[in-house]
This record gives sequence, structure tokens and C-alpha cells, in this order.
Amino acid sequence: MTIYDDEILGKAYDGRLVRRLLGFVWPYKWSLTGAIGLMVGSALMELIPPFLIRTAIDGPIATGDIDGIWPIFLLYAATLLASFGFRYAQTYVMQAMSQRIIIDIRMAIFRHIQKMSLKFFDHNPVGRLLTRITNDVDALNEFITQGTVALLGDLVRLFFIIVTMLILSWQLALVSFIMFPVVIISTIIFQKIMRATYREMRQRLARINAYLNEQITGVLVTQLFGREGRSRQFFTEISSDYLKSQFKSNNTFAVFFPTVHLTSVSATALLLLLGGQLVLNDVTSIGLLVAFTLYTEQAFGPIRQLAERYNTLQSAMASSERIFRVLDTSEDIADPAAPKQLPTPVRGAIVFDNVIFGYNPSEPVLKGVSFTIPAGQAVAVVGASGAGKTSLVSLMARFYEIQQGSIRLDGVDIREITQHDLRKHVGAVPQDPTCFSGSIAQNIRLHDDTITDERIRWAADISGASSFIHKLPGQFAYEVRERGSNLSVGQRQLLSFARAMAFNPEVLLILDEATSSVDTETEAVMQQAVQRLLKGRTSIVIAHRLSTIRYVDRILVLHRGLLVEDGTHDELLALNGYYARLYTLQYAEQLGGSAAEN
Amino acid sequence: MNQLRALWPYVVRYRWRFVIGLLCTLIATGFAIQVPQVLRWIVDEINTKGIVWSDLQWAVLLMLGIAVIDGIFRFFQRVLILGSAHQVEGDIREAMFQKLLILDQKFYGDHHTGDLMTRVTNDISAIRQFVGPGVSSLVSAVLMITGASILMMTTNVTLAIIVLLLLPAVTVLFILVGARMRAIFRRVQDLFGEVSTRAQENFSGIRTIKAYTQEEPETVEFLRVNERFRAQNVRYVLLSGLLWPTISLVLGSIGALVLLIGGQQVAAGQMTVGDLVLFNGYLAALGWPVVALGWTVDLYQQAVSASSRLAEVLQRQPLIRDADHGAIDHDVQGQITFDNVGIQVGSAPDQRWILRNVTFSVGIGQTVAIVGATGGGKTTLVNLLSRVQDPSEGRVLVDGHDVRSLTLSSLRQGIGYVPQDTFLFSVPVRENVTFGRPDATDDDIDQALLISRLSNDIVQLPTGIDTLVGERGVTLSGGQKQRTAIARAVLRNPAILVLDDALSSVDTHTAAQILDGLKRFRKGRTAIIIAQRIATVRDADLIVLLHDGAVAEQGTHEQLVAHGGMYAAMYQREQLADAVDNA
Repeated sequence: MTIYDDEILGKAYDGRLVRRLLGFVWPYKWSLTGAIGLMVGSALMELIPPFLIRTAIDGPIATGDIDGIWPIFLLYAATLLASFGFRYAQTYVMQAMSQRIIIDIRMAIFRHIQKMSLKFFDHNPVGRLLTRITNDVDALNEFITQGTVALLGDLVRLFFIIVTMLILSWQLALVSFIMFPVVIISTIIFQKIMRATYREMRQRLARINAYLNEQITGVLVTQLFGREGRSRQFFTEISSDYLKSQFKSNNTFAVFFPTVHLTSVSATALLLLLGGQLVLNDVTSIGLLVAFTLYTEQAFGPIRQLAERYNTLQSAMASSERIFRVLDTSEDIADPAAPKQLPTPVRGAIVFDNVIFGYNPSEPVLKGVSFTIPAGQAVAVVGASGAGKTSLVSLMARFYEIQQGSIRLDGVDIREITQHDLRKHVGAVPQDPTCFSGSIAQNIRLHDDTITDERIRWAADISGASSFIHKLPGQFAYEVRERGSNLSVGQRQLLSFARAMAFNPEVLLILDEATSSVDTETEAVMQQAVQRLLKGRTSIVIAHRLSTIRYVDRILVLHRGLLVEDGTHDELLALNGYYARLYTLQYAEQLGGSAAEN
Repeated sequence: MNQLRALWPYVVRYRWRFVIGLLCTLIATGFAIQVPQVLRWIVDEINTKGIVWSDLQWAVLLMLGIAVIDGIFRFFQRVLILGSAHQVEGDIREAMFQKLLILDQKFYGDHHTGDLMTRVTNDISAIRQFVGPGVSSLVSAVLMITGASILMMTTNVTLAIIVLLLLPAVTVLFILVGARMRAIFRRVQDLFGEVSTRAQENFSGIRTIKAYTQEEPETVEFLRVNERFRAQNVRYVLLSGLLWPTISLVLGSIGALVLLIGGQQVAAGQMTVGDLVLFNGYLAALGWPVVALGWTVDLYQQAVSASSRLAEVLQRQPLIRDADHGAIDHDVQGQITFDNVGIQVGSAPDQRWILRNVTFSVGIGQTVAIVGATGGGKTTLVNLLSRVQDPSEGRVLVDGHDVRSLTLSSLRQGIGYVPQDTFLFSVPVRENVTFGRPDATDDDIDQALLISRLSNDIVQLPTGIDTLVGERGVTLSGGQKQRTAIARAVLRNPAILVLDDALSSVDTHTAAQILDGLKRFRKGRTAIIIAQRIATVRDADLIVLLHDGAVAEQGTHEQLVAHGGMYAAMYQREQLADAVDNA
């Protein structure tokens, strides 16, 4: 899970990655410039209050000029307001920008993934892709907000404070700087310890979460096998491991925070001691001394934060590495540079010419298959599981790329037209009937608004889906839940038939009509639906149930990746081969079935 | 505190550490509020030039000394209070886990894994946040504010009143803006959930999307959801970006007022520059405490809602548990009787029976097969035996005892169960196999692997039987998983063996071998076998055909075939299908 991915941490700065990331930032260069400008403004404003305090103490207060404090107060108030404005505006501009950049990156990943062939999805589980598009993109958000502007902001602030101090009094400035190394070193040491501790904590927490998740999922097995005691014991172990690293972290903080406080008190103390001496010798004024205690304190902030940014950068680099890996995966099925057009109107004649294909090229599933389907013919593909039926149909929709041979639609090699063009005319009803969250109507028309409500109703009628849709509350407006979890498998199958009808492609592929989890009544409805779908249309159906073959014009029999028989039902029966045996059994089964009912 | 009472026992055991920790807070604060006093003295002495170098040294050393003592007590404060809070968190986590281990399937049906995970992680962490940092900074803040107020009042009443009247604004601001921020943030999270759901739906439905060339409109839709998320996020930033600058503005304004009024008083000779520095010092010291007060309110609210979610689990009584009085420890022999068993599901208006009037008996050493269509209640029925669930009516008897009168541990000890959905743990194969009998010898293990036909597969795994299973190890095939589960059950050496469709992913040839091995193993043991295929169970002593939750037919294979009913039809169909596959 993501928790583990998190652990792959590399360097905090990788020029190559940063340049590519900056490519996403570039379109917003003016926002970025604005954010930086505002940040400089707010850094400048922070310098003013201590200076005003010094002016007040050394000026009107020292001279007893009561009214003389007013202008200083007003300036002070104005500075505060300006500082507020700068800070707020900067946060807003920067966040608004980073949110846009984030969407750009997320959309770039999404678009790229959309172009990938099914092979890519076979190799990348949904969870992993989801992590890329959510968590990893979030880490980049951190990079943009923390890594660019904020990092720059810390440096600018520090620079301004140091310059101001040097200008106001180089002697006091040097006294202030004495504590800087202490702050830097203590922060670096602390960050180093904490980085290791945090990683340990994350790993141990991930372990708890993984174990917990597994134990909750498999709790019944634990209970039935009487292993509660040992599970408890193990959980106590990993829980106390985590507790130990929590203690370690807590103790580190317990030392660090007082140390931080002590360094700033020490800085003040040093200023009072050495700077006090300067005041006593009239080298400098008491007001300036007070101002310097404030400046010194102000300088500590950016120094400490700079060390923290390291962690953010490190995880951002790891995330961008993973994201770019996805973006760099080349499309294995690309549209041709100069795509051909299918002749209009599309008729739907199909030619498979010596097609060789394997999901893994060294293990071919189809070993040289050739056949021709004239326009309008309905064909069934039969054969045992593993014979290559699903592959054959997937190839027609170009879900995968063949290794040898060619597949032609109306005489045009399907690799020479765009995938969009191909699939507009070649409709596939996938094996696993997919549903999306949204209404029934949306599930039928998907995003195609040219499909009218009437057409949806017609498609539902033809496919036999109407009968169940009419029983749903709200009918076509009924909200289907994610993955169609509130519909049965049979209903989902009918819905996917309706979808196919609504799109009305010239060539129809039905990847699999076998659904073991469907009751007999629905099964009968689906059989009829298939029959209507095939009528007068070039279609290839994978027939698990031999009853389907009664509606087709022709049957292709696949066996171990080869086309072994091809012909009409009668021809194949007369051949008395592989198909004949299948059919005889089917016929006998029906006899058996009706005998049981009697 | 009322709502947190359920978790009080977990806190109270560390009460002394909390008390001592809070005492440390008191001492540390007592010292911390002295620093501005010393500062004032030094500044005034320097300003009036009435100090000599050695006195200045002593004064500065005093200041450092105070800071050191403050630091030491802060260290103990943190170690004691926050450390104990971690302890409390750990204790609740373990208590939650113990409870989760004994809760029944009804509970797990009502709660998603994700929801339970959130409780054991985020909710417990919310409790820790309140008990630790929350309590600690609340006490610190109260002490600091009180102490500083008194010392400011003794220095300059007017200025002190101005500071103390304005400071609460920060707390109020934090609470008000914080609450609003949380509300908006929840919506941001919801929208983020939508973004993630859309992506997930797209990726898992990619075949359909590609088949209907919906990539473009899907992209447009995804962009739209993202834009909505962004708009809400910007709304959040508009508010959250306001919080800290506003707090700085308020604190800064108080500082400016102190400079104005205090400065005028110094100019008029009613106050010293040191006093002014002192006020600035206290103002700086009070910045965090006033924010912390608001923060604590926030933590408290989160802890309250977290604790109610935790209490719901901690106080839940498992439905399936040992009888309160006199549960018997019984050495299971294997005689089973289902006596007019029925199971009702759903609540009042939609109640229906999914099993009704089921009665049959199995003698010791006999094999009973349960067949029937999917959804006929087969799994539910065998689940009653090991009390995964209790019947709504009727009784399940083992060796003449109602299973509810036996201790769960002794009952389950006698049953080896191979569930329909194989669940293996992400541990080595060996641990999975010995799951029900950790002390098994290598010979026993080999024997179990032989029966389940896993031996050959194991040889091919990277590190043999010690190969890690699961996401971080090897992914076993469905058949391998099922066979591991069979080995796991066999190794337990149970009096009763339950196989719930346990060979569905195993190829026919291997299945036959396993059945053959099991036949010998089953000698003297009672077996309940749920099967999709009749061929697997035709030689069972009793075959029970479940249909729509009732026993439609029962008898031996020969009897049922002769009967010519539903079973006979099923059998015929199966034979024909086999012939098709083997053709």
C-alpha cells in the first residue's frame, strides 16, 4: 500500500525531476512572480516593528515627548495591516496557483492513463494507479507550496534580517550571530534524529495498520481456529514496538523544545551582557539593544524551518519519480500519425489474416488464425476455456496489439485507423458487466448526449432490461451505486446489453454471455436479448451456452489457439467432428433438463 | 468530560504520572514567568547606567539559570504527560483489538473494515491528542496566563487591563474560525473522495470506457470534478489563510498599544523602559497560551466524538459467546444433529427466513454432503455448526449437546473448517498451514501437505514452505490457496471436517486426488462437504439437497437418483457438461 511506497526515499533535490516539475509551474509564472513579490513584501514588513520600537525608546520615550509616540504608533499599526495584507494575499495567490498546477498534473496523469492499452491495466492494479493520482500528486502540492515559495521565503527573510542587523549596528549584529551556529547545529541534529524516528514510527504504524486490516478481514478464520490468543499477543508486540518509537520521538522533542527555548534566552542573555556593555560605554543605545533581541528571535524561525523543508522535498522527489514513471510509459497501442478513414457507410466486413497473438509474446494464445466474416453475418466462437475465444474478440476491438498478421475492417487494417474511429463502429460488451455510479439512463448512454431518452427506452426494451428497470424506484432515474453494487449480476448484464443497443454499432462483439450467477428466468431473457442484438449485424459472440448458436449464421470452433472447424451449424454437424460432439451433448442436456422438470 | 467517561479507566491508571507531570508544569511556569522580571531589571540598570560589569554578569547568569530550570521541568512535563498519553493510546488500541477479536459476524457485517480501521487509528489518536498535548497545554496556558496577569497587574494596572481584555480575542477567533474551517475542510475532503472515486471507477471500468470510446468525455468529467474540488479548496484557503495572519495582527496590535500607552507613560516618567520590555516579554509569552486555549477546545470536541465511536466497540457484547453459566468443555466426537433449524434475517417489516425446518443427523465418522443452487443457504447452514452464527429457531447438537452450551474454544477445537472464500494471512506458507496447530511436527505438516496435494507446489516456491504469502510475498493461485486452507484444516486433526466448496478453484484431476487422500483421512471423522459438483460427493453417507432454504431431498446418491427429482436432474446435467468439457 501507499504506506510502503512512502519508504522509498531518495535525495531531496534531483535537478532532472525539478526541471520537469517546473515545467508544470511555468504556465503560472506570473502568479508565481506575484507570490514571490508578496512574500518579499511581507518579509520586509517584519523588519519594521523592532525598528519602530527602537525609534520610540531612543526618541520620544527617552526625551519625554509624550505626543511624539503617536506617529510611531500609527506607523506601527500601518505596518501590521500591510503585513497582514501581504501574508494573506501571498497565501492565497500561492495556494490558488498550486491548486491549479495540481489539477494540471492530475489531469496529465489521467489523460495519459486513458491512452494506455489494456495490457497496461493488466499490469497496474487500480490501487496503484489511484495512489499516483491522489497521494503522490498531493506530495507535489507540498513541493510547490513548501519547496519553492516557502523555501525562498525563508532564505529571503534570513537575508533581510542579517542585512538589517549589520546596517543598524555591526557590533550588536556580530554578538547576535554567535548563537546562529548553535541553532543551526542543534536543529540539524534534531532533524536527523527525528527523520529516522519518524520513518521508524511510520513503518511501525504501517505494520499495525496492515496487521489490523488483515486481522479484521480474516477475523473469522482466527476465531474458528482458536488463534485469538496468539493474535492478541502479536498485536501487543507490534503495538509496543510502535509505542517505543513514539516514546523516542516524544523524548527527542522533550529535549529539543527546551533547547530551542534555552538558545533564544541565551541569545538575549548574550546581547544583554555584551551589548549592555556597549550601551554602558555609549557605543550603542538601549532602544537598539531591545530591537536586536527581537531581530535575533526573528532570525531563528527561518533557520529552523529550512531544515524541515528537507523532509518535504525528499518525499516530493520520491512522488514525482513515481508519477513521471507513469507519464513516461509509452502508449503500446498508438494511433497512426496519418490515420486512414473507414469507407462510408461502414458495412462491417471482417478479415482475420493469419493472426498470431499472446499476452506474453513467447506464449501465443492464437497461433495463426484466419477467417473472413462478410458484413451482416452473426458468428459464434465456441471452444473449451483457454482456446483463445476471449483474445480473439478483444483483438477485434484492438484492446491488445497482435504480434503477427492483420485484422481488417471493411478492407482497412485496424491499425491504420484511429482507435476512436474503430470502436465507434465496433461495439464490445465486456466480460464483466461494468456499471458506474449514476442513473440507469446515464449507465446506458454513458457520456453520449446525442443518445435521446427515447433511444434509451428503446434500447432497454430490445435488450430486455426494461422489465427490471420498470420495477426500480424512479425507473431510468434510479441511482446505480459504485460498481453497480445495488444491481444483481444479471441486471448488470442486461444493462450492458442495453448500452450496446443504444450505441448501435455496425459490428458487435459479445465477449461472454456466460453468467453462472444468473437465475433461469433472467437467463431466458438474456438469451432473447442476445438474439435481438445479433439480428442483421456483423457480430462475434463467444458462446458458452450452445443454445446461443442457434441464432447465429455461422460457427467458428477454436481449439488450443487454432481454428479447427468453421461453417454453419448443419455443415459442422455433418462434419461429425469436435463441434458435432459438443452439440450432441447439448441436445442431450436439454432432454435431461426437461425430463427433470416433468 | 462526561462524554469521555467511557475511556476514563484507561487514563486513571496513569494518574500519578499525570499529577506529577502537571506539578512539573506548575514549577516550570513559575520559573518561566520570572524571566521578563529579570529582563526588566537588567534593562533598567543598563538604561540608567547604574550597573557594573560583574553585576550584569550575575543578572544574565540568573536569567540563564531560570531558563535551564524551566527547561528541565518542561522536559519532565513532556515525558510524563505526553508519554502517558501515548501509553493510554496503546492501551486503548490493545483493548480495541481484543474486542475486535471476539466480536461476531453480525458486527462485522454492520461495520466496514475501513471504518473499524479509522477507529483504531485516527480516533484513538484523537484521544491521545486531547489527553496529552491538549491537557498539557491547557494547564500550561491557564498557569501562564494567571501568573503573567498577576505580575503584569503589579507592574502597571492600566496596561495590564488593556492586554488582558484584548488577548481573549485571539482565543475566540481561533475557536470561531477553527470551527468554520473544519466544516469547509470536511467538504473539501468529501470532494476529494469524489475525485478519487471517479478515478477508481474509471480505472476499474476501463474496458467498457474503451469499448465505447468514452475516454474523452471521461476526461472532461474528471476535470469537472477536479475543478469543483479546487474551487472548494480555494474557499478553504480563503478562510484558513486568514487565521494566522489575523492572530498575528491582533497580537501585533496589542503590542502596538502597549508601545503607545506604555511609551507615553515612560515618557511621562510613570514607568521605566524596563517595564515596557517586561510587558513586551509577557505579551510574547502569552501568544501561544491564548491560541492553545482555543486549540484545546478543538481537541476536546474531536476527542468526544472519537470516544463515542470507540465506546461503541469497546462496550459491545459479542452475540456469539460462551454461555454465561456452566459452558461445558467438551471433547468433540463428531455426532451432529440439525434439529428443526431456521434462520431469519432482516428487521421487522422485511423479515424473511433464509433457512427453515432443516433437520438431519450425521453419525460419528460419516460424511454428509450438502448440495443445491447458489444462494440456497448451504454456507449459512454449516456456519451454525461452529457458531459463526446462532439459529433463530431450532437447535444444532454436537454429540447430543446444544452447541450453545459448549465453550466456543472446545467446540471449535473439534472442527476443521475450510471456508468458501479462502483467507490466508501474509505470513509464510508454513505459518498458514500450522495456523490451527502451531506445535505441529514436520511429519504432521508433510502429511497435511500430501493430503492437500500442496507438496509439489511448495517445492517450486522461492523459499519452499517458508515463502511469504500475499502482497509482499508470492501470490498463490486460487487453487493453491484453497489447498493451503485444506492443509490448514487437516493439520488440526479435527473430529469434524467442514469443506465449504473447497475445491472450486482446483482442477478436476487434482481435486480427485485430494478427495482420494481425504477419503482415507476422513476415516473415523465426521465430514460435512458443500459441493457444486455432485461427482465430488456421490459416495457420501448422506446427501442433503437444499432448495430455497429448505431441505428439498435427502438420502444417498443412489436413493436420490432413483427418486428422479431435482437431484437426479442436477446430476444428469453435470455429467453432460463434463462430457462437453472433455470432448
